[in-house]
Amino acid sequence: MYLLVILIPLLSAIGSGLGGRYLGGKGAGLLASVWVIISCLLSFILCYEILINGSTVYIELGRWIESYLLITNFGLQFDMITAVMLIVVITISGLVHIYSTSYMREDPHLPRFMSYLSLFTFFMLVLVTSNNYVQLFIGWEGVGLCSYLLINFWFTRIQANKAAIKAMLINRIGDIGLMLAIILIWKEFGTLDYCSLFSTLHPSSACTWICILLTIGAIGKSAQLGLHTWLPDAMEGPTPVSALIHAATMVTAGVFLIIRSAPLFDYSPTATIIVGLVGSLTAFFAATVGLVQSDIKKVIAYSTCSQLGYMVMACGTYSCISSLYHLLTHAFFKALLFLGAGSIIHALLDEQDLRKMGGIVRDLPLTYILMLIGSLSLTGFPYLSGFYSKDLILELTYNSYCLISIYWLATITAFLTAFYSFRLIYLSFVSKPNLTRTSTAHLQEADWNLLGPLLVLGVGSIIVGYIAKNMVFASGIRPLLPVPTIVSLVPVIMSVTGILLVFIRPYIKSRGSRFLLFLFYAWEFNQIANYYLGSPVWKFGHIVSYRTIDRGILEILGPTGIAQFMINRTQQLSNLQSGLLFNYVLVILVGIAIALQYLN
Amino acid sequence: MSYLVLSTIILLIGILGIILNRSNLIITLMCVELVLLASTILLLFESRVLYTLFGQIFAIMILTVAAAESAIGLAIMVNYYRLRGTIAVRALNLLRG
Repeated sequence: MYLLVILIPLLSAIGSGLGGRYLGGKGAGLLASVWVIISCLLSFILCYEILINGSTVYIELGRWIESYLLITNFGLQFDMITAVMLIVVITISGLVHIYSTSYMREDPHLPRFMSYLSLFTFFMLVLVTSNNYVQLFIGWEGVGLCSYLLINFWFTRIQANKAAIKAMLINRIGDIGLMLAIILIWKEFGTLDYCSLFSTLHPSSACTWICILLTIGAIGKSAQLGLHTWLPDAMEGPTPVSALIHAATMVTAGVFLIIRSAPLFDYSPTATIIVGLVGSLTAFFAATVGLVQSDIKKVIAYSTCSQLGYMVMACGTYSCISSLYHLLTHAFFKALLFLGAGSIIHALLDEQDLRKMGGIVRDLPLTYILMLIGSLSLTGFPYLSGFYSKDLILELTYNSYCLISIYWLATITAFLTAFYSFRLIYLSFVSKPNLTRTSTAHLQEADWNLLGPLLVLGVGSIIVGYIAKNMVFASGIRPLLPVPTIVSLVPVIMSVTGILLVFIRPYIKSRGSRFLLFLFYAWEFNQIANYYLGSPVWKFGHIVSYRTIDRGILEILGPTGIAQFMINRTQQLSNLQSGLLFNYVLVILVGIAIALQYLN
Repeated sequence: MSYLVLSTIILLIGILGIILNRSNLIITLMCVELVLLASTILLLFESRVLYTLFGQIFAIMILTVAAAESAIGLAIMVNYYRLRGTIAVRALNLLRG
């Protein structure tokens, strides 16, 4: 059963990928959905065994690399962290599979899409269930690959191509960090699987470097500040892809890496502080950018970025388990928000611009309610799932040993989060209609294949936080220091203020200022990176390494130069044979003279 | 001794004539004759100095060869002139490398 959970998505990917032309779109959709749902049910049984009955499972599958000092096995490890990730990955994936059968119904390449989705699920499962860093790296690269394939699903669109390449390359920067971290771990501790590594840990100076490199890996994959620019661009893919990859699963791989390596981070306070700072800055940055975006998917993408910042920040407070908890709840409400946005986009005939929506609450009541639940959960409204995890993180940051600034950033972010989530709701559902006539005429709820997953996720967004509260903390949590009452009230107050501000805002006279433009262009990160990093590197690559070295020095010293030299010399030599008699005689005589000189 | 100097000078004049001559093939041929004559004189001088007859035998043979050579050379030249209409040495570069 443990193997089946992982293999079923792979079989489903192969089935709908290779057999797609025989199955057709509908058949492939059905096949992939059913198989992934079976895998999902199996994973629930697994989670029951692991989380409730507390039976951690280790499976050895075989040797992989066996050399003198490095031994790497194929192996699976099902412990508490893996169990939570299993729920996140397979549940969201199953629901997205069902959702896609409706959302992508008209697409001629549905089998390919389903195949990619299942393949992605498989790689994500490999990532979370591996028992060593090398096998984790397979999954890590695999999800990057699938992300490329899925963002680029409509491969005829140039923007999709560019976004996919960007995602792949920026992820690769983080991958280099992870690879270096793996090498350092092997050099320092001599082992790569978790059990041996975490039992032989000893404080050493390399720990800090390992953790910093691991953080770089997480920064790339989880779209933290600096390497975040791929995530908003990845919205070029279809909406289910955004929901599956860029909300619930792939971006959480970076956070998962930090959670998995938590024992390492315990030995490195420096790296932990860096993690906390990076997380809090990302949360704040992404929230401010989310305030002014006009694309409905980009708003949610920046919100994902911001919430990932929260998770990383939680890891920076020595409380990885609360990070995992937020990961779990976030997966549910963020998938809900993305799929809800997909439902809106579907109903409005692929209109993604918030400024061209409005007043659709009457025609899409169910979507409205579900989006409202998702947004309330995201803002941490009391008794919804976001409340449990987010307020926990905020209290942890208040008590964190290192920096109080993290707390303030997190609190301001909570306020901004409420504001942008409800701005989205307000602009799309409540404000005055701003639609075209054709989309008004077609406005209606989609079928139940599309709404069913939304309903499940809606229920999940309400109850998961409460249910998982005991599951996640089953193995014991570090005692929470008591916080003043006002500190525990602040997030809720901030959220409510943010929500209210959205409804007051239209009455405040606003004008587009340079500051808003600065926020709209995401703090000019892309421009700065392109100007100061991208274009010099590009120019260096073209002028120095291509034109000067490859086609210049090496060509002249190598084939072209030598050939040209030989041709010139032989040309000159054969020019000696002028055809003129007197020259021949001269050469003959000079030759004889030289010969006489030397023959004597 | 003066014979030696004389014949060497004639030999050099002949060679320089071949090398420096740019205009006419006949001059070249005449210079070749000059070289052969100079070598004949050398041989005769050597035969006189060494008291041997081999030099004179060679001299007679060279005279024969020179006569034959100038006859064939002139024949080639006449034919060449008939074909090309010129016997300038500088125009003689059809076989350029």
